[in-house]
Amino acid sequence: MAGPAHPHSMAPPKPARTRAAPPQMPSTWWNTPRMRTYLLFDATGIIYLLVGFVAIRMIRALADGPVAWQAAMQSLENPMYIGFHVLSLISVIFVAVRFFRLFPKAQPPSIGPLKPPPGPVIHAALYVVWIGVTAVMSLALAGVIF
Amino acid sequence: MSSTNTGEAIPPTQKTIIITRFDPDKDEVPRKQEYSVPCEDNWKVLDAVNFIKDELDATVSYRWSCRMAVCGSCGMMVNGEPKLTCKTSLKEYGDRVDIEPLANFPIVRDLVVELDGFMHKFEAVKPWIKRAKEKAEDKAALHDTKLTFSQSTEELGNFKQFSMCINCMLCYSACPVVANEPDFLGPAAIALGHRYNMDSRDEGNAERNEIFRGEGTVFSCSFANECSEVCPKNVDPAAAVNQAKFEAVIDWAKGLVLPSPSSGGSN
Repeated sequence: MAGPAHPHSMAPPKPARTRAAPPQMPSTWWNTPRMRTYLLFDATGIIYLLVGFVAIRMIRALADGPVAWQAAMQSLENPMYIGFHVLSLISVIFVAVRFFRLFPKAQPPSIGPLKPPPGPVIHAALYVVWIGVTAVMSLALAGVIF
Repeated sequence: MSSTNTGEAIPPTQKTIIITRFDPDKDEVPRKQEYSVPCEDNWKVLDAVNFIKDELDATVSYRWSCRMAVCGSCGMMVNGEPKLTCKTSLKEYGDRVDIEPLANFPIVRDLVVELDGFMHKFEAVKPWIKRAKEKAEDKAALHDTKLTFSQSTEELGNFKQFSMCINCMLCYSACPVVANEPDFLGPAAIALGHRYNMDSRDEGNAERNEIFRGEGTVFSCSFANECSEVCPKNVDPAAAVNQAKFEAVIDWAKGLVLPSPSSGGSN
């Protein structure tokens, strides 16, 4: 195979060949609408960290016996906790909707002879499964089923 | 002077164009310089920068060439957003338009950024058709399109979108991962590597997938999708990066159960 036309054109630059200013971001980088949405998405990680702490606390209460469990359950009725869980729910919906929107484009064009269904079908399937699982879990937690 | 459909003349609008200036011989850090420009209604952002260069200040440095969104050289930050300035109407913006060099790249001078790192990232993904070994039919195929290199429309469709990249680098400026991790291979380079991986004529998948499984490549991507949002050619590099993740994992899993395929020479 023939060699490149300019074999040295991609050679690493010599140190200090040119003095360049370091990369910079626009001073208002965080204030563009898309970046605000992305930052909001990233910030949901903090909420899930806190949800993790609450879950650990509840597991410890469960291990400590019925009295501790009842006390922990009662503390969840605090308006602060309720507000936090509403915020968590909004955060989960936000992340799920974003994930569902991007999911079809991450599919490989084909796996062997199989091709993924069209994007709207994937979207619909994701929402159906999400709503279905949520409904089943809600009914189970309410004691209606199982 | 531009005019309406009825031939009525539209007077120019005076706008303040703020250009980032950096002279490596004089300036310690980039600075801003304002210019008052009489902007025609039908101007693109590049027209305003050209006006400054031609009429107000010949020392302003920037790259441009084709003026029709093909060459990919006039990418700049316009009011904080990476834009191809020959494709961006000036009337979308208010009285003050802030034009900066592409974010996440070292600045050589004014609006000109350093390309070396970007080019090395491109080279790293081996963006050419790799054959396991040069075959007799390869040479024959150069003269007969029905032989080895023929490709169906469907096979072409698997990667055509990713071959439309014009290397404008807007995706690198928009990518929050590149901002935090300058060594990240980045959207355009990964999309290009994936383009060759999807090419039915190519046999370099194993080699590129090994690169993609390395540090600072596809798995550094947090799927922010910013690259695809700003791409002026609708290449959708975010799709390429995330498809490449899947391919890299499948390739790794195959390697666990199957004998490793020969990826051939080092062309």
